[in-house]
Amino acid sequence: MAPIFELRNVTKAFGAGKERVIAVDSVDLTIEQGEIMCLVGESGCGKSTTGRMVAGLLPPTSGQILFKGQDISKLDRESYRAYRRAVQIVHQDPYASLNPTHTVREIITAPLLRHKKAHSRADAEKRAIELLEIVDLTPAEDFMGKYPHQLSGGQRQRVSVARALTVEPEFIVADEAVSMVDVSIRVSLLNMLSRLKNEFNVTFLFITHDLALAKYFAWEGRISVMYLGRIVEEGPTPRVITDSRHPYTQALLSAVPEADPELARRKRRMELRSADIPSLLDLPPGCTFHPRCPFFVEGQCDTLTPQLEPIPEGGRVACPIRKSERIELIAL
Amino acid sequence: MANDSMEWSFQTAQGKNHTPLSLENVHVVYNIRRGEVQAVRGVDLELHAGESVALIGESGSGKTTLGLAIVRLLVKSAQITQGKITYRRDGREVDVLSLKPKEMREFRWKECAMVFQSALNAFNPVLRIWDQMLDTARSHGWNDRQAVRQKSLELLRFVQLDPERVLNSYPHELSGGMRQRVLLALSLLLEPQVLILDEPTTALDILTQRTILDLLRQLKEEQHFTMIFISHDLAVAAELADRIATMYAGAVVEMGPTEELFYNPRHPYTLGLIRAVPTVAGGFEELFSIPGSPPDLIDLPSGCPFHPRCSFATSRCREEEPSLTQVGPDHYAACWHWHDVEKELERTPLHRGVHAIQQGGAS
Repeated sequence: MAPIFELRNVTKAFGAGKERVIAVDSVDLTIEQGEIMCLVGESGCGKSTTGRMVAGLLPPTSGQILFKGQDISKLDRESYRAYRRAVQIVHQDPYASLNPTHTVREIITAPLLRHKKAHSRADAEKRAIELLEIVDLTPAEDFMGKYPHQLSGGQRQRVSVARALTVEPEFIVADEAVSMVDVSIRVSLLNMLSRLKNEFNVTFLFITHDLALAKYFAWEGRISVMYLGRIVEEGPTPRVITDSRHPYTQALLSAVPEADPELARRKRRMELRSADIPSLLDLPPGCTFHPRCPFFVEGQCDTLTPQLEPIPEGGRVACPIRKSERIELIAL
Repeated sequence: MANDSMEWSFQTAQGKNHTPLSLENVHVVYNIRRGEVQAVRGVDLELHAGESVALIGESGSGKTTLGLAIVRLLVKSAQITQGKITYRRDGREVDVLSLKPKEMREFRWKECAMVFQSALNAFNPVLRIWDQMLDTARSHGWNDRQAVRQKSLELLRFVQLDPERVLNSYPHELSGGMRQRVLLALSLLLEPQVLILDEPTTALDILTQRTILDLLRQLKEEQHFTMIFISHDLAVAAELADRIATMYAGAVVEMGPTEELFYNPRHPYTLGLIRAVPTVAGGFEELFSIPGSPPDLIDLPSGCPFHPRCSFATSRCREEEPSLTQVGPDHYAACWHWHDVEKELERTPLHRGVHAIQQGGAS
């Protein structure tokens, strides 16, 4: 079976001339049916742009995006509509993505009727209640008449997910979907999303800046780390978290604060050569991480653009110098 | 630095146990159309010299309101209805809540500075950083341009910025992380004794966040600043705090040394927060969320406000609100069932500390 998504050498540029910014640069990425793929990176690394391209909200500047083996730019009208229905996106800010003048009932039933997932109002009502129960908004009847402002942040995000589910998607792009929600409620949202994967075989592209969340949600899946538009490391989550090889991934892992004082104390610090992230308007030559990388090798890192190469431990690493070096982040 | 116009009363003996800031039974209420929001309900806090205390809790727990109350920057609809805030320096003390506006302005930078969450809003967009530094100094009677410049350069270097370049920049020309560092430098300009930092690293990227955390740690360990961190992020508290106070529904529900709170929490809410937050380097652990949502501060649940979300709750919790009681050395919790929390932790220990590290990445 073809993977659900395949990105081949996908590039997205914004602007022109001097203002031209390459937000996503030559990304190759395969996402298998039923897996969780997590895109992590700092702001401006291109993770959200990648998600928007996958969801069909932005066309790539070059390269191909294949959905179940077919190039989405070459789909006929009918297949394109099917693809757009099959792939839904859940945004970071449920305040902004739900219409404040519509009740939960209207928010959920409208797409059901429009996409003929329900044949009558009564049918739509029944289905809406089922969907609210799936996202743990119970008793569902109590939520149907509410407006977004009457709900908490976590509840609103559940409504966003229920709305995405109206069209029975096979794939959900979750772009920082739990980042704005309070800590105590985050986990139940993540567990709800995991259940969608297990019970409805939904495949996830989970986009986050939070490595701890990525680790928790995608433990059985994979993580791809992006830096300045490129994927620098990719692999099964446990390998990326415990045995990262790219210096940028290692820098992130060593820098991330830990909710455990002992761990925080024992973590090895990785000193970067520069604290400042280069501008996308003026990217360094060669490996774009070289001006900050502690393992910088002159004449190599600043001239050659490293490509992702497979490593025996699983996944791929875009650093020919460090890809075979294991480092311990915790001093015992 | 400048003349002293505050009314001080000579009282406290200064020593190792010097306490620059004491809060006694502080209550803050917001009056809104729907009613009275009880944002802070009877907080007691003793801040010792050189220590850093983290106030943790979710949105609406009252932690930011409490910070704003200390420097009296609350919005008009808010009122400190009860309580006492005492500030001490050099063996003298002052009642913060009775300071006149002019004295308060002086207090705010020179004694107790607050660094806010949104670093962009804290600056005047049409002034260069240098002018903002100078303005701040001048409004506190420090008119020696050359000295202000020297101090500014020194502080900007301390926060690892290119001092000359930054002084000549407008706020919009700096990145979020740079602005946060400038704000930190600005807050140190008048050498305050106490620093209050509201979500100092929220919304910053990981590597930038690390730079700020390391700077704050340096302030704490090398310069022995007395600091209050306000954060929803347990990791920030774990990295920086000597003591932690957990806030829920406007009250401190648990307080103790950082390690105690992380490894031996005694309040079900603190335990719930810890069990809801994953670590990165500590192996895979199952997480649990806290059921329900934060309470309505206008219409608080009866008894212990946490009882509707608490798995330990009994009928007593629905009727009587517990106050802080001692549960360990320097460790206090406001829970009728803290013994049950202790037993629960013996049955299912937290996946934390050395134990978690030794397990490494094993799943």
